[in-house]
Amino acid sequence: MKAVDFITQIRNGDIDVVEHTRKVIEQIKKINKEYHYFNAVSEKEALEQAEKVAKNPSGKLAGLPVSFKDAICVKGVETTAGSRILKGYRPTFDATVVERVKKEGGIVIGKTSQDEFGFGAFSVNMGIGYEKPLNPFDKERACGGSSGGSGGISQKADFPHISLGESTGGSIVNPASFCGVFGLCPTYGRVSRYGLLDYSNSLDKIGPMAKYADDIALMMEVIAGFDENESTCADKPVDDYTKQIDIDISGMKIGVIKEAFNGADAGVEKAVRGKIAELEGLGAEYEEISLPTAIKFGIPTYYLISTSEASTNLAKYCGMRYGKHEKLEEGFNEYFTKVRSMHLGQEAKRRIILGTFARMAGYRDAYYMKAMAVRTKIIQEYKKAFKEFDALVCPTVSMLPPKFTDIDKLSVLDHYNIDNLTVGPNLAGLPHMNVPVGFEGKLPVGMMLIANHFDENSLIRIGSDLVK
Amino acid sequence: MNKFTTDVVIGLEIHVEMATDTKLFCGCATSGDDKPNSRTCEVCLGMPGSKPVLNKKAVEYALRLCIALGCKISPELIFSRKSYFYPDMAKNYQISQYEIPLGINGKLRLGSGKTVGITRVHMEEDPAALIHPAGIMESKYVLVDYNRSGDPLVEVVTEPDLESPEEARDFMKQLITILNYLGIFDVNRCVIKADANISIKESKYTRVEIKNITGFKEIERALKYEVERQKQEVKSIVQETRAWDSDVGITRSMRKKEVEEEYGYIIDPDLVKTEISTKWIKEVSDKMPELAQEKAIRYARDFKITEDDARVIAAERLLAELFEKVAEEVDPVLAAKWLRRELVRVLNYNNKEMKDLVIDEKHLIELLKMVEKKEITDAVAKKILEELIQKPFSPKDYVAKQGVKMIVDTKQIQRFCEEAISENPKAVEDYQTGEKKSLQFLIGQVMRKTKGQADPAMVNKLMKELID
Repeated sequence: MKAVDFITQIRNGDIDVVEHTRKVIEQIKKINKEYHYFNAVSEKEALEQAEKVAKNPSGKLAGLPVSFKDAICVKGVETTAGSRILKGYRPTFDATVVERVKKEGGIVIGKTSQDEFGFGAFSVNMGIGYEKPLNPFDKERACGGSSGGSGGISQKADFPHISLGESTGGSIVNPASFCGVFGLCPTYGRVSRYGLLDYSNSLDKIGPMAKYADDIALMMEVIAGFDENESTCADKPVDDYTKQIDIDISGMKIGVIKEAFNGADAGVEKAVRGKIAELEGLGAEYEEISLPTAIKFGIPTYYLISTSEASTNLAKYCGMRYGKHEKLEEGFNEYFTKVRSMHLGQEAKRRIILGTFARMAGYRDAYYMKAMAVRTKIIQEYKKAFKEFDALVCPTVSMLPPKFTDIDKLSVLDHYNIDNLTVGPNLAGLPHMNVPVGFEGKLPVGMMLIANHFDENSLIRIGSDLVK
Repeated sequence: MNKFTTDVVIGLEIHVEMATDTKLFCGCATSGDDKPNSRTCEVCLGMPGSKPVLNKKAVEYALRLCIALGCKISPELIFSRKSYFYPDMAKNYQISQYEIPLGINGKLRLGSGKTVGITRVHMEEDPAALIHPAGIMESKYVLVDYNRSGDPLVEVVTEPDLESPEEARDFMKQLITILNYLGIFDVNRCVIKADANISIKESKYTRVEIKNITGFKEIERALKYEVERQKQEVKSIVQETRAWDSDVGITRSMRKKEVEEEYGYIIDPDLVKTEISTKWIKEVSDKMPELAQEKAIRYARDFKITEDDARVIAAERLLAELFEKVAEEVDPVLAAKWLRRELVRVLNYNNKEMKDLVIDEKHLIELLKMVEKKEITDAVAKKILEELIQKPFSPKDYVAKQGVKMIVDTKQIQRFCEEAISENPKAVEDYQTGEKKSLQFLIGQVMRKTKGQADPAMVNKLMKELID
């Protein structure tokens, strides 16, 4: 059932919201045992909220179960971004998106599993002591990452549900693609990041993941918009995203990114090209476009900027005021080193070291500053494309959801290269969305739509037209 | 080879805490409750997920200083992260400015007329305060008080233009005068701290940095000590950082400095660039008061008071403002003398400062007019002034009521003089045998008898006539 239909029933009193919430909690606990989609289930808070909604079901999300990536702060609920170093940390405040969801009657059911601090493309770089989420279509395969738990539960839930994921370099569309759901990463600055545990502040975006485009649009209307607590959040009016569902796409011009099919899995290419061919029938035009800079330089640019920022963001996790503590011994340097060595996972350590190196005096100009300059070039390349096109299209990920045993064989660089199609729009701060376009065998294939800054409307319009 | 030729070369880095009501990046108060950690929130505690929002008032304050120092102002305000691990850092990085400071290339004129170059003026946040319960050397642990964390600081860096500890002291003094005038510094609660780079010719200008000097008196003490130390240990001077221990009055080696410290600066991606438009600069500039040095020049020129009086009065904004009002009604030379010497003396005696003074300038003018017209003696006027700073009243009514007008009747004064002579034959004899001081004693007796009301000039004249 679509969220909109469910909410109507809640409002009409056709569904007992408390009873429904209780059932949902039982169900996710059961799913979780098998698939590991949740780091925390917020049963108590969910039921309290359900009681409130029962009394006043007027909110836009009345009674709707909503899950949040673990990196998003929920007051009183353990929030760790999937890292053992934050084990036991319960925020004293709600992230702005959580506050907005609660205000509209949404019910926070739990915190979804992810790569530690978002550092991964498969949800296999788990923090110490966390279990990998398993693909809802094949338990031997990955959910994608880093919002893997959000992707998995969005597919697996047989109750109305929306998850809020977070993307730095592709972490919404990638797991949406591997789990066969919609996932929209909004324009940078469209949705407040207040209360998001930072990975890379100039790249992080919170966005919805769900089975239906309608649900994506609905959630965007709730979470988008200005927040005085977050400096990079844009002070721009919010569009009527749900109205886009019924608007057809005739006359739209769509660019097919040529380079993006190089090295793509044959099944992925077939499904995506097949869907592109349907555009004409819906009244849109499409033609090929080349985006060489984004594809060629996206990966190094992304990893230099994101790790530089991440290495400063993670400095605060040192066992002093929250999360894991250890016995106080020796000086503060030795203590901080001990806590960080014990409780940060391997990939987190790798990115801290990489990022610290890239911003050191003597290397800073060659790496961090150079990457910043290339980022500007990439933005210019996209901006030029949007003079001609309303949206761009390509596969979301070049491969089908891989087996864990195959992921184990990948080098670190291979692993980083999985992001090659998604880092471009992320570096440019452009809204992009995964559209589940079909299956290759039993495995889902995703297609990525990219639109101009603050044009989430086009994504929803095209996505909802392509998948009815 | 360096360009220096003077015996001593000094450059200063001065950190000034600005007197805004709230902190630099959150809404917490900068003063008030001093209970540890009472004025804190998730932002100044650096809690995961919190984000900074810039306090525009602090920018305005820093702009005032840049304008007063004649700096070239950057068209954009950009903050950077200065990364290092230390227990007083909420985030293990400090939000500061690096590549592009708010102001560059300014100057400040010393009392001597010499101009000192200002390299840069930049904004940053204060770290928390570390409390060593058993003293800095003995404590096995420290406590952290975050009340100070996030307070707005402005750092002023000078060129190495200062040539003596006395000049360094005067620089600090002139700077404090400017800060007071600009209303951006509260001497009662804001801290001003300096780090000094100092070298001497004998060591071929080997640079030593002295950290943590508080206040302008201390800077002279610390640098005087350091000049002497460097002269005595000239053969063993190395480039290093030393700490000033004001209790003992010595500097101690902290660390030998072979390489520059590594802070891995990156642009803070949580803060957007703030445009500093020429319009904004003009608005701030238009609201700026006339500064002390301009006032001093104007006073000496327009009011014909001595340059020394002009400088002393102008140095204190409230005193200068009072002087300007009084000098319109009363002879400025007389007004200058009374304000600079008598008013300041009376305030000091009562342990009060200008800001504590509640005086109606009408009453002060009334009093000084009576002095000007020789209706009362200086002695009586001083007595009235002493009372006037305690409570308001009309000095004119007081004089009428108390009958303390100046005695100008020759016969009456002569009678008092004769009394004094007959009562003090020894003093008369001393005077006549060449002890000229005794005249003052005899005059004092007359003044005592008349409760200070006799015209001192007339007493002097008559007394001399009587005993010469």
